[in-house]
Amino acid sequence: MSFLLRRLSFYFTAFLIAISFNFLLPRMMPGNPIDALFAAAQGKMDPAQMDAIKEMYGFMDGSFFEQYIAYIQSVFTLDLGPSVLMFPIDVTTVVGMSLPWTMFLALGSLIVALIIGVSIGTYSAYRRDGFFGQFVPPFLAFLSNFPYIVTALLLFYFFGLELELLPLAYTYDPSLAPGFSLEFIGSVAKHAILPMGSMILVGIATWVFNMRNAMINVLGEDYVTMAEAKGLSSYRVMYRYAGRNAILPVATAIAMAIGFSFAGSIMTEVVFNYQGLGNILLKGIMARDYPLIQAILLILVTAVLVANFIADLLYVWLDPRISK
Amino acid sequence: MKKPLLEINNLCVDYVSPNGVARAVNNVSLSIAPGETLGIAGESGCGKSTLAFAITRLHKAPALISEGEIIYNGRDILKMTNKELREFRWNDVSIVFQSAMNSLNPVITIGEQLTDVIVAHKRISVKQASIKAKELLTVVGIHGDRLSSFPHQLSGGMRQRVVIAIALALEPKLIIMDEPTTALDVVVEREILNELYDLKEKFGFSILFISHDLSLMGEIADRIGIMYAGNLIEIGDAKTVFNNPSHPYTKGLLASFPTIHGPKERLYGIPGDPVNLLNLPTGCNFQKRCNDCMDICKKDDPILAELNVDYKVACHKF
Amino acid sequence: MNNSIASAPNQQSQFRQTCSTVWMKCKAFFSGNPPAIIGVSLIMVILLGALFAPILSSHNPDKRVARPHVAPNAEHILGSTRNGRDVFSQVLYGARKTLAVSLFAGIIAMSIAIAVGVTSGYMGGKVDEWMNFATNVFLVFPQLPLLIVLAAFLGQVGSMVIAVLLGFTSWPWGARVIRSQTMAIRNKEFIISAEVMGESKIRIILVEILPNLISIVFGGFLGTVIYAMGAEAALGFLGLGDATEVSWGSMLYWAQVSSSLYTGAWWEMLVPAIALALTGGALALINMSIDQVSNPKLKTGPHLKLWKKMNHETEKRRGLV
Repeated sequence: MSFLLRRLSFYFTAFLIAISFNFLLPRMMPGNPIDALFAAAQGKMDPAQMDAIKEMYGFMDGSFFEQYIAYIQSVFTLDLGPSVLMFPIDVTTVVGMSLPWTMFLALGSLIVALIIGVSIGTYSAYRRDGFFGQFVPPFLAFLSNFPYIVTALLLFYFFGLELELLPLAYTYDPSLAPGFSLEFIGSVAKHAILPMGSMILVGIATWVFNMRNAMINVLGEDYVTMAEAKGLSSYRVMYRYAGRNAILPVATAIAMAIGFSFAGSIMTEVVFNYQGLGNILLKGIMARDYPLIQAILLILVTAVLVANFIADLLYVWLDPRISK
Repeated sequence: MKKPLLEINNLCVDYVSPNGVARAVNNVSLSIAPGETLGIAGESGCGKSTLAFAITRLHKAPALISEGEIIYNGRDILKMTNKELREFRWNDVSIVFQSAMNSLNPVITIGEQLTDVIVAHKRISVKQASIKAKELLTVVGIHGDRLSSFPHQLSGGMRQRVVIAIALALEPKLIIMDEPTTALDVVVEREILNELYDLKEKFGFSILFISHDLSLMGEIADRIGIMYAGNLIEIGDAKTVFNNPSHPYTKGLLASFPTIHGPKERLYGIPGDPVNLLNLPTGCNFQKRCNDCMDICKKDDPILAELNVDYKVACHKF
Repeated sequence: MNNSIASAPNQQSQFRQTCSTVWMKCKAFFSGNPPAIIGVSLIMVILLGALFAPILSSHNPDKRVARPHVAPNAEHILGSTRNGRDVFSQVLYGARKTLAVSLFAGIIAMSIAIAVGVTSGYMGGKVDEWMNFATNVFLVFPQLPLLIVLAAFLGQVGSMVIAVLLGFTSWPWGARVIRSQTMAIRNKEFIISAEVMGESKIRIILVEILPNLISIVFGGFLGTVIYAMGAEAALGFLGLGDATEVSWGSMLYWAQVSSSLYTGAWWEMLVPAIALALTGGALALINMSIDQVSNPKLKTGPHLKLWKKMNHETEKRRGLV
């Protein structure tokens, strides 16, 4: 089986496991799961609606297995019923509205951190005995390992509250109508600086160290020495011969970073009141909106799996030794 | 003697280690004539590869060329600026590294690895360079279509041919070969060596051949130098060094190799271990392992002195 | 009789030797390594603060001892919270809870990681296939959201439950690293010779493999502790932990609830935040230094300074500078 097919089947299996976990979660809780799951919905929905939703979640009469099949069906048809919190809006709609913002934060910051981190890492390997190589990596290691929430809070306080440089809440200026206007995009960018900045700060050290260590390994390889002996420019030796290879182990680390980045987005969104999944998730938790919570968990898993697959594609493109 | 192509005078290379400074190449002087094949042999760690690396100044920290000069075409390589050095490298001296597996970048096509060196040194378009690259591949016996292959798609022997093709790309005057065939099996080794002869005939370059394999050396080199613990201890024409060596170490080295032809003889190793470069004895470095050790060997360093015309030995016996 | 007399000084000298090797190793770790010195001193200060919290703290962290949001002064050196708790005393006691949770989570995670990683890497075959699959599945799931949802379903959970949850969700990364390292060691001569000599698998794992994994395990442990601390803080901040316990996470929560940043009482939020930041940063510095020392390729040392000097001198002599 080719590499990508194998990965695809792995992600599909992982997805099935995630669904099963989601299905089991309320059933593992103490007490009657149905009551717990829909306690918050009492009085908001009429009994007929509640029955319909229960069935969608597989809480119907019938064997455990039949319930499981029913749940899987509703997942694959994206038929997850209305949200309790924002009744009668569909869970799918609520999630669909906020998912893009979370993707924007999580993947945007990941890519920026990756680019900056890899550049710094490359340069600090090149100048490993100089001031840059000696000072910058430890400094970033220190700064980057503040907990997500702390970095977000500190940036929030200093740049938002004290200096009043940047907006403190929302994804964009609420008075603007979403669209492809310059004003709107500018507002989105301005609102994204702090949340994204804090995530980049947290994410960056991973890439600096991954790249620096990979680079130091590669610099000892014969093909780098040969490239130097060939009289190629140091730029070409550095980036084409050494960097090109050092990026491979870095690319394998992307898979793990994607999960971390989504998790970070959730924290950051809460601090900056950014209208992504994390914010909705917290509101859902406060309102005990279990259908919504479960849908968010599921969509997060899906997003991470898809992003992982994209990272795999990237890897295949980078390393010709992997069979396509 | 003809005017030498390359002249190394009193070259010293140091390794700065946490436990002190080790001299890996000590006061070595030698020269290579145009079209000549000079072999350098010795145990691993004797400094032969370090010497080869020094010629194009490939050493990085913690290695350092601390003394001496390397004269090529009247210029000291050690005094070249970075730009001059870059122009000099490969254009005048190219290198075939020990393992083709490791000296070709696994994620860059062999075509690019061949053309980039041509483009870097000649005013020539990429297209013209790749025509030249195709020719070069054909010269070493590989089909020109292989330009778009990655190294892992070639066999070990083919990879080494590619490396030789790259080494020939700018038609340098000198090719340094650092154990070019050790990683290959005997049949492929033979093929490649034969081809090397033909190429040398055709292009007329000099070869600095680094190997621990003295029998191989006796076959292809015009002259042979033997190194021990960073010192050049014997150098002269290949026949004499191979058949009638003077230095006790060279004798030992030869006795430890089987001969393919001739009667089966017992093989003798050299007793003891190579010296620790951080803790060298006073006097001759070989004294502890030498059967002919005399009093003076424990006091004075032997000097590489002319024994006959163009034949030098560093031993107190002579 | 004779034996015991002879062995006593022998033992003593052996002890002295062990001590001196440990001392040498410490010296090698710290010399010319400012990040290690800074990291370890910071952690020492924080650990001592946590350990001697009852002595160092000026007030009971659970009692109302001041008016709301008193700014830092001589009596309350780090001010008071909205609820009139002494922030200094809280941050000391909070360190205990937060560090305990993080360390406990780290221990659980690394125990699972070692068990899975070593078994998987050493046994190979089907066992490895399945364990590696499980590790990879866990690895691609976003752990923190999972944790948030678990905590939400369980209701406001105590700190020890959080530690257990954290431990059981954050082992896969360590397992993966340990597995690949074990696979690298497995084919070394000393393992093969032990196998040929008929030593039991358990003994080979315990005596031959594990000692070679120490630096990687310790690195993974520190990484997990940093992660667990961040997760504990996050869960606390979101109000998913037990807000009646004093931890840095719950301090953030109360600071958020009382809108302390908006009302100008920055100390209530910034003190626990900075405590978390310093601990995370210091642990990362230590982790980095260990990597620097244990990975031979990353090693730098005073000899390179000597090299630089010599290099400069020769270049000067050759007219290159």
